[in-house]
Amino acid sequence: MANRKARPTLSPEICKGCGRCIDACAHHCIAAGTHVNPATGLVPVTLDLERCSACGLCLEACPEPYGLLPEGDEAAAEPTGQKRPPAVEDQPDTRVALPALRPLVVKGTYASAIGALLAGCRHFFGYPITPSTEGAELMAKLLPELDGHFVQAVSEVAAINMMYGCGGAGLRSLTFTSSPGFSLMLEGLSYMVGAEVPAVVVNVMRGGPGLGNIGPEQSDVKLACRGLGHGNTHAIVLAPATTQEMLDLTMLAFDLAFRYRNPVVVLADGYLGQMTGKVTLPDELVRPGLPGWAVHGDREHRPNLVSSIQLSEADLEAHNLRLIAKYERMARSEQRAELYEAADADVLLLACNTPARLAKGAVRALREAGVRAGLFRPVTLWPFPIDALRPLLRPGLRVVTVEASHGQIEDELRLALSHAGIAPPPLAHVRRYGGVLPKEEEIVSRVLGGPERGVA
Amino acid sequence: MTVFYERFERHDHATGLKAHSTHYCPGCGHGLVHKYLAEAVEQLGVQDRTVAVSPVGCAVFLHYYLDVGNTQAAHGRAPAVAIGHKLANPDAIVVSYQGDGDLASIGLAEIVQAAQLGLPLTVVFVNNAIYGMTGGQMAPTTLPGQKTATSPHGRDRTMGAPLRMAEMIAGIDGAVYVERVALYDAKQRVKAQKAIRRALETQVAGRGFAFVEVLSECPLHLGLTPQQAEAWVRESMTPVFPLGLKKDAKVEAWPAWRPPSFDPQRLASVVGASTEAVPRFASGFPRTAFGPDVGIKFAGAGGDGAQTAGLLVARAAINEGFDATHIPSYGPESRGGTSYADVRLAETEVRSPAVPSPHLLVAFNAPSLARFGPAVLPGGVIVYDSSLVPERPPGLEHARIVPVPCSRIAHDLGRTAVKNVVALGALQAAASLFPDQSWLTAVRQALADKPALLPINEQAFAAGAEAIRRVEEVVA
Repeated sequence: MANRKARPTLSPEICKGCGRCIDACAHHCIAAGTHVNPATGLVPVTLDLERCSACGLCLEACPEPYGLLPEGDEAAAEPTGQKRPPAVEDQPDTRVALPALRPLVVKGTYASAIGALLAGCRHFFGYPITPSTEGAELMAKLLPELDGHFVQAVSEVAAINMMYGCGGAGLRSLTFTSSPGFSLMLEGLSYMVGAEVPAVVVNVMRGGPGLGNIGPEQSDVKLACRGLGHGNTHAIVLAPATTQEMLDLTMLAFDLAFRYRNPVVVLADGYLGQMTGKVTLPDELVRPGLPGWAVHGDREHRPNLVSSIQLSEADLEAHNLRLIAKYERMARSEQRAELYEAADADVLLLACNTPARLAKGAVRALREAGVRAGLFRPVTLWPFPIDALRPLLRPGLRVVTVEASHGQIEDELRLALSHAGIAPPPLAHVRRYGGVLPKEEEIVSRVLGGPERGVA
Repeated sequence: MTVFYERFERHDHATGLKAHSTHYCPGCGHGLVHKYLAEAVEQLGVQDRTVAVSPVGCAVFLHYYLDVGNTQAAHGRAPAVAIGHKLANPDAIVVSYQGDGDLASIGLAEIVQAAQLGLPLTVVFVNNAIYGMTGGQMAPTTLPGQKTATSPHGRDRTMGAPLRMAEMIAGIDGAVYVERVALYDAKQRVKAQKAIRRALETQVAGRGFAFVEVLSECPLHLGLTPQQAEAWVRESMTPVFPLGLKKDAKVEAWPAWRPPSFDPQRLASVVGASTEAVPRFASGFPRTAFGPDVGIKFAGAGGDGAQTAGLLVARAAINEGFDATHIPSYGPESRGGTSYADVRLAETEVRSPAVPSPHLLVAFNAPSLARFGPAVLPGGVIVYDSSLVPERPPGLEHARIVPVPCSRIAHDLGRTAVKNVVALGALQAAASLFPDQSWLTAVRQALADKPALLPINEQAFAAGAEAIRRVEEVVA
């Protein structure tokens, strides 16, 4: 169509009367109109083509794709009833057997990075922030060896948007961040949820608020579970407690992200990021396919769109309803929890991440002291594993939440109980802040009736 | 018009005239820029490969019109999104289409980084000196004295001067092709067409980052007719934003990217996973007085090797089929500050990985001994570097306290850095955790890349054990 030497034709109802074509015509064939077009309320130009040399300059001047058209092309403006190509099929993932490998002895961020590689992730976008940086450093080292891509973004804001592009193209991408960086990623996460773009964010939480410190805190539970940017957002939030789970749950996170077309957050704490432990490798790695919805930059996927804008209120409400239905599917199908000595417990400790390990130690100590204690460890913080908790809630049970935050996990418990219509059992808690984790003895003492720690 | 959708289905569900009409106001430049972009895509034959990243602002609905892969980005972030697309599929031709509020204000960091990385991307930047979609507020590109909704008395000195993006981007090494064009007459429009095509060609040829700034009209918010707006761009904008080529660097094309590898052998090798089983030497979990869960703390100054020693213990335990954890804790500086390592060994599963009260303490200096010695559990063992702590400290009678001149032994061996392995040998001799071979296997694994250091580490381990035996003899 470009530089076509052709005489123009005009669709008066498309013309907005801007008049750029008037000046473009050396032969003065085009004039400003004088009559309001009843269909548009605008005043289209008028053509008088007696002196037209078919130079085509007016065509180049018209900003409307279907305004001035070369003679003979008018039909293009008429609907031909041609449908868009059908949605392309998903290319499924394949699983490739790994040789039997001896366990690795690695730190948590490394385990998570290796889990991402095993899950088929070959793209990392991130910004260095303690105590998550070693994971990014390992990806920077390993990805080039696998012909993958590592980009150190200008900020966490840029990093999450690179992930939006990569995930929108249908590929698996990872970032490591820590609390202040996670705050910056929330905008991007909202867009991802809205546009249904999968990605995995590993947040190695540190002490806050503000710059805080680099010690372990569970400071971002409320952000991950309730505050993923603006709008009605949710994402599955996985809470590992061991180095092994840093790998396992990162792998799972990719599966879930692509199953639901939604970002997944792996919430670890500073201890888990830094802690070295034993990691058994899986039997298979994932060679990812390509989802049919992807905007991949090829012929098959050309009709696709990744977007979160819905101008009409009705459309946006319908989109929200679809997302909410998806959240409900997640909530039904993806609850995960670990129970330890919980079946006969009179006191149930509720904890996740590293505090769950400390609580597990406390359960042992309490059992030795004759107290029937147990541990309920949410592995998914959202959705909260209420289905696993419900059968444990018999009369007389006390629940003690052990956490390194100001009740952010207890709030998830309270909300889950409320949504499930369950009257809360007697609740108590052990809370520490600022990079201090609840100590095992502290938990034991609190269960045995010790005072709550207050401001000294 | 193959690169425009035949019907604009996304434009209000193609209701009525919207099926073929854009949402732009009369006289707006965006429609022309869309058209020139569509033409370039068509002429270069890259419609199937093209991904258009649309901004926030009036061009947010680019995906209503352009029949290519479409992604809509957050305000200012389109270049970052474009980088994600390009690296996901280097064959894709990725266009970041942005306005001046988007690119020159909220998205400054993203555009600068994209230009700095220099990946083959095409940025089309529409500069109309005002925020259009939000209703005529001041942009970074607003002219001095120009009245807008947020500069109602005219842009003055306190609001800064207009930002010349093309010149700024041209100053960044990664940018290959940068030009500023306009739309106000037929001649300028031809130049604009050519520049947009060249910016796309630059990417198709894999040469690098290309940036076209288009001076454009926003008659609505300028309060002008379309013709007046054209004159305003010509007369008022071009003196501030000079038109023309800003950069056309001669560069080699980027090399082709190889597709990512999912080869299991390669991945295993890259992550350092071995198929070789590690030999086991222990007959069971260490039989100490401490039960099935042993807590060890190594404490010293940064550089003392406390972390390495802790990792070696954890590795030895895991090699033997047990569970173990190691957590480092560093002082404010990684060198010269305090550094201590908490290690837990468990027969089946480590519960609390922290070791506030260790069974075994290795202290490399006096402050570490003073700080952690009292926390050692009754019946525990304290090994300390007696080369640096000459006086046996009082008040640690609850534990078995073993002075070992780790630094001196290491120094005599010719390498002070192995004092941590001397301490491990001593710890082993004092606490009988694992057979010597378990330790030496862990040391060998850790030194897989530096085999030359193996003999001195083995000597250090033996010397540490020997030192304990000498101490024991003295005590006996």
